[in-house]
Amino acid sequence: MLNTFQQAQHDMLPVATPDEASRQEFTKSLKQFIQSSILPGLGPVYRARAAKKFEAETGRAPADRHDIRKAMVPDPYFQHYAAVNRISQELLWDSVIDSIDAQLPDLKAKAEAYSAKNPGKLMIPENFQVPRYVSALDIHCMPGGYAGRAGGDSVGLGVLYDRGVFLYAMGYTGPDNDDMGRSVCNYVKRRLNGFSPKRILDLGCTVGHSTLPYKELFPDAEVWAMDVAEAQVRYGHARAGAMGYEVNFVQGNAEAIDFPDGHFDLVVSHILLHETSGKAMPKIFKECQRVLAKGGFMIHADLPPFDLMDPFTQFILDNETYYNNEPFWGAMREMDQVQLAKDAGFPAETIRFDTAPMAVMEFAQAADGYSQEAAEAVNDREFTAGEFAPGGGWEVLIAQKL
Amino acid sequence: MTDTMIRNAQGKRPSFYETPPLDQMMSMIMVLAEEVSVLADHVDSLERVAKDKGLDLAEGVKSLKLDQEALEAREARRQAFLSRLFYLMRKEAAEAAAHETADGFIQTIEEIAVR
Repeated sequence: MLNTFQQAQHDMLPVATPDEASRQEFTKSLKQFIQSSILPGLGPVYRARAAKKFEAETGRAPADRHDIRKAMVPDPYFQHYAAVNRISQELLWDSVIDSIDAQLPDLKAKAEAYSAKNPGKLMIPENFQVPRYVSALDIHCMPGGYAGRAGGDSVGLGVLYDRGVFLYAMGYTGPDNDDMGRSVCNYVKRRLNGFSPKRILDLGCTVGHSTLPYKELFPDAEVWAMDVAEAQVRYGHARAGAMGYEVNFVQGNAEAIDFPDGHFDLVVSHILLHETSGKAMPKIFKECQRVLAKGGFMIHADLPPFDLMDPFTQFILDNETYYNNEPFWGAMREMDQVQLAKDAGFPAETIRFDTAPMAVMEFAQAADGYSQEAAEAVNDREFTAGEFAPGGGWEVLIAQKL
Repeated sequence: MTDTMIRNAQGKRPSFYETPPLDQMMSMIMVLAEEVSVLADHVDSLERVAKDKGLDLAEGVKSLKLDQEALEAREARRQAFLSRLFYLMRKEAAEAAAHETADGFIQTIEEIAVR
């Protein structure tokens, strides 16, 4: 199945020249090729030679993902896989930066204009400290990272994330990059016995990709999007304005949420937890519990914990830790999230992992390049480590405050 | 805050090969592949735009019969391209023929220093 998915153009995205667009398409095609044609060879290479070589040298079979890593790192097939995967990531950001650099003053002006069209609040506190787990490395190798360097308020990083993540995800999360939010919304609507939230908080929202579906699908709800990165929050507020939504954006830290106790009835996050830290995660769970009203739900959508996977799958996933500036990616998957939720005060019987089915089929034929067949193919895949997004659905951790 | 974006991601870049220059070689190869892909897209765009204006370039290309001059021009271009592509093998063969060696090279440097 050819992936021809195209991002929906909205007014806050830069317009790429034909050559810029071709470079961007190339990086997306390269990622698709790596995942569909190079990645599957890693298993055979590991079993046929890398594991045997390791055993010959150490006198024992590789026992866990760390051993498998030692066995694979010297292997030429793995070296090419990892090198080209990293290069695809670097070319991706660079191809988007070309478009942004050419239009930055214009994009800043547009951000102000479209921000004014979003009736939701935009709150940027003074002297906000970006936590080290976000500022120490540029996550996903995105130059500048989420938050930029000191004093960086450029919306350019929001633009970069918006366009770059579409290419990174190869369009698997839909023309508006919003499949995760949309899938969790569907889950709330269809699986929580008619629960209909009135005040929703999305933690680690970046530019609001996953946030906006909550406003679309719960139009009467008051929706708040929070992130530590000013550039992302500012851009997100403008993007919501450009797309015609009233959503509040606030720069804030999920470890110390600046809202009163019991203020929200739904607190969600989408691929946030693996970008925090071992000390931050328990605090975030406690804060979720505190700001929830009785009867309210906490839902975190991320990838599944390592104990649900075999060591080779763990090894493939852990490459993100080493090669894509994802320092907490591996360690997070070893945390006992159910225990964290219990420790935060959620009753044990309300805590569970579940799958929120991907909503990507619902975009079919409504957007450029999204055929019914291709969208279904994304959804029907088996989970394969190293591909973007599991087939079938997003792993969600759910707990309810009683 | 300047009006240009940051180009380098913070965080030490890993090396994937035992010979670090290979990392840079591979990145150059991929950038070149990217530009080849851009050119292919561009040719495709040209054909599509021309077709919209009533000129079927793709069909014309398909039915084009190369005359002797064209055959020679193309073959000359291909041979020149291959000779650029394999310039280091040409050099290696020439060194073998001239008995040029690394030791001989150092010896020449040392001789010139004192003569």
